[in-house]
Order: sequence, then C-alpha cells, then structure tokens
Amino acid sequence: MESGEAAIADAEEIPGAGRDPKDEQAGGPDPDPVSGGDFTETGTRSPWRLSRPALLTLALGLFITAALAVAALELYKHNEKRLLRLRARELSLVLRTAVPTLQTPLASGAELADATGGSARKFKEFMDPLVGRGRQFTSVSLWPAEAEPPAPKVVVGARPTLEARPSEARRLFAEAKQSGQLVLTALLPGANPELGYAYAAPSSHGGFVVYAENPLPANRHSALAENTGFGDLNYALYLGRSHRHGDLLVTNITHFPIKGRQASTVVPFGKGAFTLVVTPARTLGGTFFKDLPWMIVIVGVLVSMTAAALTERIVRRRADAERLAVVLDRVASENRQMYTQQRGIAQTLQHALLPEALPYVPGLAISASYVPAAAGIDVGGDWYDVVPCGEDRALLLIGDVSGHGLRAATTMASLRHAALAYASEDPSPAAVLSKLSNFVNSSSPDYFATMLCVLVDVPEHRASVASAGHLPPVLLAAGQARLLEFEPDVAIGVTGDWQYRQTEVAIPPQATLIAYTDGLVERRGEPLDDGFERLRRAAAEGPPQLDQLVASLAREVPGDEQDDDTAILGIQWLT
Amino acid sequence: MADVSRPAELRVQTLEGGPGVTILLVAGELDVSTARGLESAVDEACGAQPSELLFDLSELRFMDSAGIAVLLGASRRVPSVRLRDPSQAVRRVLEMTGLTQVLPFAE
Repeated sequence: MESGEAAIADAEEIPGAGRDPKDEQAGGPDPDPVSGGDFTETGTRSPWRLSRPALLTLALGLFITAALAVAALELYKHNEKRLLRLRARELSLVLRTAVPTLQTPLASGAELADATGGSARKFKEFMDPLVGRGRQFTSVSLWPAEAEPPAPKVVVGARPTLEARPSEARRLFAEAKQSGQLVLTALLPGANPELGYAYAAPSSHGGFVVYAENPLPANRHSALAENTGFGDLNYALYLGRSHRHGDLLVTNITHFPIKGRQASTVVPFGKGAFTLVVTPARTLGGTFFKDLPWMIVIVGVLVSMTAAALTERIVRRRADAERLAVVLDRVASENRQMYTQQRGIAQTLQHALLPEALPYVPGLAISASYVPAAAGIDVGGDWYDVVPCGEDRALLLIGDVSGHGLRAATTMASLRHAALAYASEDPSPAAVLSKLSNFVNSSSPDYFATMLCVLVDVPEHRASVASAGHLPPVLLAAGQARLLEFEPDVAIGVTGDWQYRQTEVAIPPQATLIAYTDGLVERRGEPLDDGFERLRRAAAEGPPQLDQLVASLAREVPGDEQDDDTAILGIQWLT
Repeated sequence: MADVSRPAELRVQTLEGGPGVTILLVAGELDVSTARGLESAVDEACGAQPSELLFDLSELRFMDSAGIAVLLGASRRVPSVRLRDPSQAVRRVLEMTGLTQVLPFAE
C-alpha cells in the first residue's frame, strides 16, 4: 500500500520536474470547477427546467398580460354598462310614444260623448275600427262619470272586466277626472290578466269616462321584433315603479329574477308609469371589445412564452460560452504549463551540454556566451567547445543543428560528443569534420549541422580553420576587424564522405578571434552582408578586454524579436 | 531596411519543367517564419518523385539558415537539386554556407 502510494507520487512528480514554481501556482491548484462531465451535463439538462431569468421573464410577461386583460375586460364591462343605460333610455322613449296612440282615441271618444250627450251610436261608430281581435283594444266602454254604482253606458267589444270591480272603477275614474290624463288600472286578475286605461274629458257637468282594456300577452311573454332595433336587448316591463314579479306586464325574459348586468328606467305613462328593466341579449359594443381580453390573454401568453424561451436560450448560450471559456482557459493554462516545462527541460539540457567552465589554455583568454531565443519553445541546437590539445594548442568547436527544441538539443549532444571523441584522435579541423560527416551520414539523420573548427597554435600565432557551411569568424587585430573568409564546405549531414578542407591563417599579436552562430548576424529581411558589417563594426568598436567584448556582442542580439538562439565563442592571444 | 514587425511573406509556385523536372518558383522572403511554407511545397513536389527539383530563386529577396535547411532537405530526397538565378544577397548566403558545392546553379 505504502509503496503503491509512493509510486503514484513519483509518477506525478515527473511532469512538474522542470516547472517554474510560479507556473505551479497559476496552473497547479486549479479549483477545477469544470471537467468533461460538465459538458455532458449541459447536453442532458432538462429542456423544461427554466433558468431564473427565463422564469422572471415569463412571470413578468404573464403579469403584464393579466393586467392588460383585466383592464380590457373592465373597459368592456364599463362600456357595456354605459351602452345598456343608453339603450334602456332609448327604449323608454319609444314606449313613451305609445301614450298618445292610446290616449288620443280615448280622449276623442270622451269629447265625442260629451258633445253628443253620450250618444251610443256615435260612440260605437267611432270606436268600432279600433276594437277587436288584432286591433288596438279588446274592449272599449263609455261610462257616465258620476253613475253609482259605476256601470258602462256603451260597450264596444268584450265586456270590461272592470264592471265586476266597482271600487277599482270608482278610484280610477276619480283619478282620471282629477288629472285629466290617461290613468292605468292595477293588473286585473283573471284567466288572462288585463290592463285597463281610462280617460275623462274635462267637463263642467258630470261628463263621461272612456275606458279601454287590453289583455296581457300569454304568459306575459312577448319577444321584441328583431327589426325594432332593440333585438340586442332582453327586457321586462313592470307596472308602476315596482320590480315585483306580480306587476310584470310583458317581457321576453324566461328566467327570473333577472341576473347579471341590467339597467332600469321609469317610463312615465299618462298619470302612471312603467318600469323598464333591460339586460343585454348579446354584446352591445361589438364582438371585438368582447373578445379583446381573450385576444390579449392568448397573444400575451404566446409572447411571454416566446420571450422566456429566447431568454432561456440566451442564458444557456451564455452559460455554455462561459463554461467553454473556462475550459479554454484551462487548456491554455495547461498548454502554457506544458510549454514552459518543455522549454525548461530543453534549456536545462542545453545548458547541461554546454561546457560548464572553459578550459585554461596558456597564453590565451577564452570567453563564451549563449543567448537563448527570446520566446517560444525554440531552444536551438547551438553549442561550442574548447578542447586543449597538449601545451600549446587548442581546438575550438562551434556548431548549430538545424531545427529547434528537444530534438535539436539531443542531436547537438550526440554531435558534440562525437566531435570531442574525434578531436582526441586527431585535432586537425578537416579530419574532425570529415569523420563527423561520416558518422552523421551512417546514422541517416534528418537534420543538418553547420560547424566551424579552429585549431589554434598559441605560441606560433597560427590557426587552421575548417567550416561545414558555418559563417566565417571575425579576426580582430590592432583595432581592425575583418571576416576570416574562405570557401566553406557543406554542412554536416548533407552528404557522406565529404573531404573537408582546412585553411591556415596567420594570427597577429594580441589578436582576437570571434566565432559565432547565425543568430548573431541574421536579421529578418536583412542581407547577410549587412549583418556581417554590423558585427565587424561592433567588434572593432567594442571594449578591448575579451569578456567585456563578448558580453557587448551578446547584448547586440535583439532581445524581443530574436527567434533563434545565439552562441558566441571568443579567444584572445595574450601576447 | 526591412520592417521587422511585418511578418515575412513567401510565395511558392510549382511548375512543370519538362520530363521529371519540377520547378519551384520561390518569391519573397525565406526565413525561419516562412520556411515551413517551402517545406510543404517540397513535400508535395516530391510526391511525384521527380528526377530533378529546380528552385527558381530570382524573386527571392532574402534567405537565412532556415531556408538553407529546406534546400538541403530537398537535396536528400531528390536525385538532383539545382538552383536558378539567386539574387546577390541570396547567392552570398549560399556561398557562405557551402551550399554552392552541393547544389549547382542551373543556367
């Protein structure tokens, strides 16, 4: 158990080996709110569970819909009520016009009787066309006003029901005489209740009363004809100022008591009055206003649901985007971390492969500098070595493997060690390069390396130089700097079995030789000769002391846009 | 003076140059940032297994060691690689890196 845990701990240690503690903090203790699981959860989230903003939108939408619907309904009710009152008033006006049509024939009859001294013949002649089935009255009779007991003198049509009710007749006639207007009886009960009207002509002597009767319609029910313009109303007409069912004269309503919206108005009728109650048979203000609340409800609910759905969609998209952003962040941070690790490993390796300390060679100052590429994983394959060969000689090696990163660094390592091995056999530069070329070709590489080998004889002030496609060194003597130009051979790895050549160079006293890799002179878009010229001038004008000179040349390398690493190796004759 | 902030630009055009000969017209700037473009053009050209690759460098303004590596890579995959009409600056780079010894110039 214990060993297992240790193994796991070890395994986890490895990727972090080259990791910067700062990166560890940035990417390491990730609270990890997001994992792959969250994504799948998004996919299976119930489509009906709304987020809070969507619910709020829906609630707000429904609330507004309800408010609008209620307002529309109230408006509709108010309007209907107002229209109903207007209709009731109109209907009462129409009813009022019935007074003259009743009163006029009765008044005329009374005048006629007065004028003719109660001529039965004249009265009958006058009333006959008005009485009978389907005519204005069922019974008209002429009564002497003062007769006691009251009895009709002339009867046209049916016998008046009033005959059997002398007290009612007395009261009615007295009222008629006194008012000079059309007066109404109470409802006269019977198989078919009747209503009577009486009119007394104003007269100095006794005079006559004309009395007419009409039966109420069967069941007191009578529909209003559609063409009267009141087809949209139900009505109930009561005698007097009462709403009692017993006083109901005529109606088209079948169910009592009357419920719902209603308007009532009193219709003056001669001396008496009717009470008219109306209810709407249908909507008065048109169906649009009646349907408006429902339309609002339907449209409002649809709009609210759509808005909620849209809100939900936006919310979910945003949530997805945020989730994605977190994941991307995490991936980016992991990438950064990985990249830093790799770069760290490559750099560590490269630094490990470069000589820790340069050897001591009598009569010679030696200095070197390595400038890594500014950014990127692009650790190059640049390297250098100084190998003392006996008392007086030293072999300088500087090289650059094509490509970057870990691969270039490891290639460089194998080349470097092979070069050191060959140098120990025979330090002559041409021999070292030729053997390396063989070595590289036999291992069928997919890389190239440029290399410069310089074997210096310190006391003799001589140097043998061989180049495998490498840029020429700079020779600085007596304040003058020049490129040590000679025709280079091909880079290592291009072709096997290449016989490299070497050039002998005489070295002036206290001269300085600077070898370097291409990062020092190459600038993007700039001709190579411009780079050489810049280097030549920097070497000529630099500090005379070697360490300072190498450092000043290293500073020439532009820091921020450099995409290649740079190695500089300098030697200086002390005499 | 070249504008360093501007990314280098490279155009490669592949032409048929007779039986077994593929011509790559390389124009612009060939450096570490554009070398991959030429590399993929070479990969594509090698698919047809030509007997010769001819790099026409007349329109190439600039080349650095990354470009050298691409040319050397091509020389290992195709029996014959030749270069044509490099500018003075490019020719200089070819000479300084010993490339002219393995990659002959075409007339």
